[in-house]
Amino acid sequence: MAATRRLQKRDIRNSGLKSFRDIQVDETNILTWQGLIVPDNPPYNKGAFKIEINFPAEYPFKPPKINFKTKIYHPNIDEKGQVCLPIISAENWKPATKTDQVIQALVALVNEPEPEHPLRADLAEEYLKDKKKFTKNAEEYTKKHSEKRPAD
Amino acid sequence: MEEAMTSSQGGESDMDYSDNECYDEYYNIHDDSDIEQIDPRKIDPEYFEFRCLLEEEVDRLLNETVEALSSILHISPSLAKVLLYSHQWNVNEITKKFRENPTSVLVSSRIEPATTPSSLLLTRYIICPVCVTPQPLDKFYGLSCTHMFCKDCWTMHFEVQINQGISTGIACMARDCVVLAPEDFVLKHLQRPNMREKYQQFCFQDYVKSHPELRFCPGPNCSIVVHSCEMKAKRATCTQCKTAFCFRCGCDYHAPTDCQVIKKWLTKCADDSETANYISAHTKDCPKCHICIEKNGGCNHMQCYNCKHDFCWMCLGDWKSHGSEYYECSRYRENPNIAHESVHAQAREALKKYLHYYERWENHSKSLKLEEQTLTNLKARINQKVMSGLGTWIDWQYLFTAANLLAKCRYTLQYTYPYAYYMDAGPRKELFEYQQAQLEAEIENLSWKIERAETTDRGELENQMDIAEKRRTTLLKDFLDV
Repeated sequence: MAATRRLQKRDIRNSGLKSFRDIQVDETNILTWQGLIVPDNPPYNKGAFKIEINFPAEYPFKPPKINFKTKIYHPNIDEKGQVCLPIISAENWKPATKTDQVIQALVALVNEPEPEHPLRADLAEEYLKDKKKFTKNAEEYTKKHSEKRPAD
Repeated sequence: MEEAMTSSQGGESDMDYSDNECYDEYYNIHDDSDIEQIDPRKIDPEYFEFRCLLEEEVDRLLNETVEALSSILHISPSLAKVLLYSHQWNVNEITKKFRENPTSVLVSSRIEPATTPSSLLLTRYIICPVCVTPQPLDKFYGLSCTHMFCKDCWTMHFEVQINQGISTGIACMARDCVVLAPEDFVLKHLQRPNMREKYQQFCFQDYVKSHPELRFCPGPNCSIVVHSCEMKAKRATCTQCKTAFCFRCGCDYHAPTDCQVIKKWLTKCADDSETANYISAHTKDCPKCHICIEKNGGCNHMQCYNCKHDFCWMCLGDWKSHGSEYYECSRYRENPNIAHESVHAQAREALKKYLHYYERWENHSKSLKLEEQTLTNLKARINQKVMSGLGTWIDWQYLFTAANLLAKCRYTLQYTYPYAYYMDAGPRKELFEYQQAQLEAEIENLSWKIERAETTDRGELENQMDIAEKRRTTLLKDFLDV
């Protein structure tokens, strides 16, 4: 199967991405990954966020799906953990896109929210109209809900 | 005996022949007269030339354009298709642009990459970036952008895209590369017959949708494509499934209203349906004796079955005033002091205005449906008449013609209401609403007469038909602007 082969060959588990750690792959199902997003920018730099990546059987001809397992206060990520990331949308997906490119795009989105095309309109409005309040809320939310950041 | 029959048949056919000849001459005389010289466009504001094409005919038509362009520009038919698809099949525009700057046309049509591709690594084995399998170089293919991928990955890519309904829009697999895969390249990598067929079917749909002179018949399960050189909001009627629609937007025909306005109106109606709900009540009380009356025919001229009072279903006013030039029930009277009223009053006025037009729009739509019922009843009535010896079936045919004309007139009348709603107040609107009122009065007269036709004496009814149709054409001539 192309998906398995590509995931085994193009492994990013050892690629040394600082902002994506603790990658775990179920030995019985290589199509589901879990990992920890470690953002650099405030208000998210006080915690880490667990995500799940699901690769379809047709991968890399169809894009992977990403879900946040940790709650996050972010205009582009909704309460269910769904994220709107153009690089993995069905219309934009290119089979030659590598997983580390996807992760980089995701980390960039977490660090720099894009309120122009939000998934949570209320948060986008707050982000644009009252940045201070947004930052305060997001920091508190991060403290309360996020995972511990890796030591190093 | 047999001989006699043959000879009599022969005699009949001889007669047919001479009859035909006679008609031919009759028509020829007409052809020579001035009738032929009148441009049908001038008499009939709805005149529209179009043809209903089968899939093969559309294919032929498209292929002629493709071949023409490919021979002018000396490019493959496959690339010509990509160019035509991105330029609405306008050969002249493509040729002109191509002569001025071929590279810019090829880049903007996504046939060639914007930046010149880097030179190829000519090793014997390379690794396909998609499936990460090392393979000999001759297994690799690429588009003009020279992003190379192995044969199997291309096939898989195309199959996945086609299964998602994508055909003319399939691009190269490299990240950020927008170069499109032309038809010959895709077909070269598709072996499975059902995939090839699917791909060609989707391409065909894209081509027809991108072609301004073609439109799929919107009728359910109908594969007819309507072709017209006039890209106008006119009525096309499918010869196969009889669906009538606007050639420009593909929705229900909507003269005299134009495509944008009717869209706005229909959206508004859908949004405001709650407020307008009470209108859908089918009953009203007789204004004189207050008995509850259900409208069971299309005609708005009502007669109370209880007290025989004649009134108008729309405004509940006495029908007597509707027969004359004072018929104004279609006209909305705007409050002249509205600018000085409060916001609430303005909102109320806006709703009142909308409801005025919506009620009439909805009412005529209902009348159209009820008159369909009338047509069925008509058949039964005629049967009864014929059975009891009152004229022959043929004698009563004029009633069907009248009913069809009534439907046509009422349909136009229905679509005059959104037109009037969006019109700015002023002399033009006054003229429009005057003509609308005239048309409405004649239509109601016609409807009344059809529902009550008791004799084969058709003079009066035909006169009424003529008046109604003249009112309709006059209104369209003055206000249909396509």
